[in-house]
Amino acid sequence: MSDYVERFRTSERILHWVVTCSFFTLLLTGLGLFSKLFHGYFGLFGGGQNAIMIHKISGVIFFFSSLYMFFNHKKDVSSFDDGDWVWIRKYGGYLTRYGNHFDIGKYNPGQKMFAVFIAAATVALGVTGLFIWFPAFFPRWIVQLSLLFHSLMFIGSIMFVVVHVYLATIGNPGTIEAMLYGDVRKLWARKHHPKWYKEMTGENR
Amino acid sequence: MSETINQAARKGFLVDTSRCIGCRSCQVACKQWNKLEADKTSNKGTFENPRDLTPALYNRIKFIEKDTAGEVTWRFFNERCMHCGDAGCMKVCPSPGALFRTKDGIVGFNKEKCISCKYCVSACPFNIPRYGSDDKVSKCNLCLDRIAGGLTPACAKACPTEALKYGMRNDIISKAKGAKKTIYGEDALNGLGVAYALEGPPEQYGLPANPSIPMSIFLWKDVIKPLGILGFWGSIGAMLLHYVTIGPKKVDDDLNVKENGHE
Repeated sequence: MSDYVERFRTSERILHWVVTCSFFTLLLTGLGLFSKLFHGYFGLFGGGQNAIMIHKISGVIFFFSSLYMFFNHKKDVSSFDDGDWVWIRKYGGYLTRYGNHFDIGKYNPGQKMFAVFIAAATVALGVTGLFIWFPAFFPRWIVQLSLLFHSLMFIGSIMFVVVHVYLATIGNPGTIEAMLYGDVRKLWARKHHPKWYKEMTGENR
Repeated sequence: MSETINQAARKGFLVDTSRCIGCRSCQVACKQWNKLEADKTSNKGTFENPRDLTPALYNRIKFIEKDTAGEVTWRFFNERCMHCGDAGCMKVCPSPGALFRTKDGIVGFNKEKCISCKYCVSACPFNIPRYGSDDKVSKCNLCLDRIAGGLTPACAKACPTEALKYGMRNDIISKAKGAKKTIYGEDALNGLGVAYALEGPPEQYGLPANPSIPMSIFLWKDVIKPLGILGFWGSIGAMLLHYVTIGPKKVDDDLNVKENGHE
């Protein structure tokens, strides 16, 4: 019998990397707009005007792909069950070296909160981005507030993404395979997502 | 953070609205010197023309008509970039050199360096910068080319009544104060390069009583920017710290875990 169990389909993985690529394109093109400190990043795109154009294009791609990804996973991320609350009370076991075991489905509460936050941030960044894109068509106070919230949601997103990247790579070895090849080791699934593992295989550890 | 500015070296205007006769020589002279196209306008039943600043209109006379108890008062206001000592446009401009400060304290602009983000439009306390069909910033630059050559800005040169008084900022303001004028913009925003002697409360002229950089712009640049950079590196530091102290959750540990099955 195979040692692996499928976690993400090919289409889900491709969608995730489209979101990833557009996110980091937005980050690199937007840094110079966030502050003069990062003006040098414009050089990657042949100047500020090009960077703004690429920021707008990748913004549209990110907006739709990120929301599409959220709605794909909506039913898996929009509620907490009893096992999730235990996970939350114990901070997911991340503050201790001793192996904690939680009764977790396909996603743990941290992943659920990340998904919901990014979806909300996508909407907020998209809407405020539109106001900033066409400032002449909206009252000044709307554009001013948009500049504020766009930067605020950017900071929130990048901090969440740092945590996401850490936990999905070196923080939990074996996790990245789910997004690269689609399959994870059964041992991994049993440790991190026992409830989901049971649903997938019918095995009780 | 706001830039430092040499107050003693600042040149600027003192606009005495009581002397203005609404002749609009300033508008015409500005267009001529700065080679600006004429704007198409339409009659809206007032002498005010055009009704707003445009990418090709760096200064204009705003006509304020007020009917108080059957008596009409007419006030003229020279609307333009006020060359704030603490300029919101410069605070947000992400392209170094697109908006710049001269040694005379003037806020100039360079269309070649402008990247069309339009942030200056939102950050200006007075809603002055305009973008034209070239998608580049334009506004009054106090004829900084004339000033560099020792000349008076075109508008002030053309003004027949000295309503637009050009000179060293400190001198013209103290002279106006000596004549018992109330000055608008002496200290606000680290001093306006174009200060006004108004005939009534600033609100009558459509000016904010206490002009300031919009709160949202201040929060973005002076709060979220520094805290955000700190938060970004803080989150990276926290992840590294977690890795070397508590460490990763290794799957293989489970193979020889003793107590299985519950938290």
